[in-house]
Amino acid sequence: MSNLTKILIVLLTLSAILLCGIVVTYVANADNYRQKYASLNSERDSLEKDKESLNNQLKEKIQQKDDLEKSLNGQLSTLKTRADDLQAKIDTVERERAELLERVNGWASITKDFQATTEKQTELLSTAQEDVKQLKAEEIKLSKDLEQTSATLIEKTAIIEAAEVEKRRLVEEKADLQNRLDKTMQAGGKVAAAGTPVTQEKGYALPAQTTAAAINLKASVSEVDAKNSLATISIGSADGVKEGMKFHVTRGSEFVCDVLIVDVDTEKAVGVLELVQSATGGPKVGDNAATNL
Amino acid sequence: MSPEAQIHSTKPAAASNLYTALLAIAFGVVLATAAFVAVKCYFIYETLFKIP
Repeated sequence: MSNLTKILIVLLTLSAILLCGIVVTYVANADNYRQKYASLNSERDSLEKDKESLNNQLKEKIQQKDDLEKSLNGQLSTLKTRADDLQAKIDTVERERAELLERVNGWASITKDFQATTEKQTELLSTAQEDVKQLKAEEIKLSKDLEQTSATLIEKTAIIEAAEVEKRRLVEEKADLQNRLDKTMQAGGKVAAAGTPVTQEKGYALPAQTTAAAINLKASVSEVDAKNSLATISIGSADGVKEGMKFHVTRGSEFVCDVLIVDVDTEKAVGVLELVQSATGGPKVGDNAATNL
Repeated sequence: MSPEAQIHSTKPAAASNLYTALLAIAFGVVLATAAFVAVKCYFIYETLFKIP
């Protein structure tokens, strides 16, 4: 065996030990990728399950969110409607409040006027009460005067009664004396003439004598409505015709009827027919009408 | 030993037992390493040559 072979054997042995040591060290310290794979795979499966469950939860949450959103949208629309209604009510209430304030202001001014009027009325009342007091005092004074006048009247009445008794007695004495005188003078064929009293009788007030003036309006019948017993005459208020006047309608020397005026125009007047003489055939156009026959 | 003597001998003999032992050690180390790697690979991947 040559030396080279020996050297190669030694080098082969050393290199084999070194390389095998390296390989053993590497393999012993190498990672267990299968176990890692299995663990990662199981971890991935569990994560996928978690993901699926989370997806389901997410879907449920989304569904719940949609339901909640729908219900909230419904509530929101309801609340918006209520808010609109409340806003409308608030507007109405504010408008009514403004109207009530105006009415309150109006009532306040009316109350002020009423207070002023009340104060004036109070002043007038106090004045009237003072007047009443004065009138009562005058009334008392007049009552006293009336009592005095009544007492005087009673005295005068008693005097008048006494005078009447005296007058009656004097009349009786006069009649007795007249009888005696007549008897005495009848024997001589004479009669006592009525004597003229020295004292003049007192006169009494007589009513003033009233004189009536004739109206003397003359017209003619211009229209006749026999169905309604109406007639129209040719003069009106311009000539002095008034409602309630009565015109006598004549034809020649015949009395036809009366017309009681009920409506007066300027140039004509309408009246109701009264006392229509059937023998004359009723009034006709052209008949005379006058207030005095 | 001369070439003639080698031609005539029937049983070969090791030139040196030391170097034979060194070769045996190297072979044993390589074999042990291969067995260790195979065992390790089998226990980890449950196969020797297939890629799992």
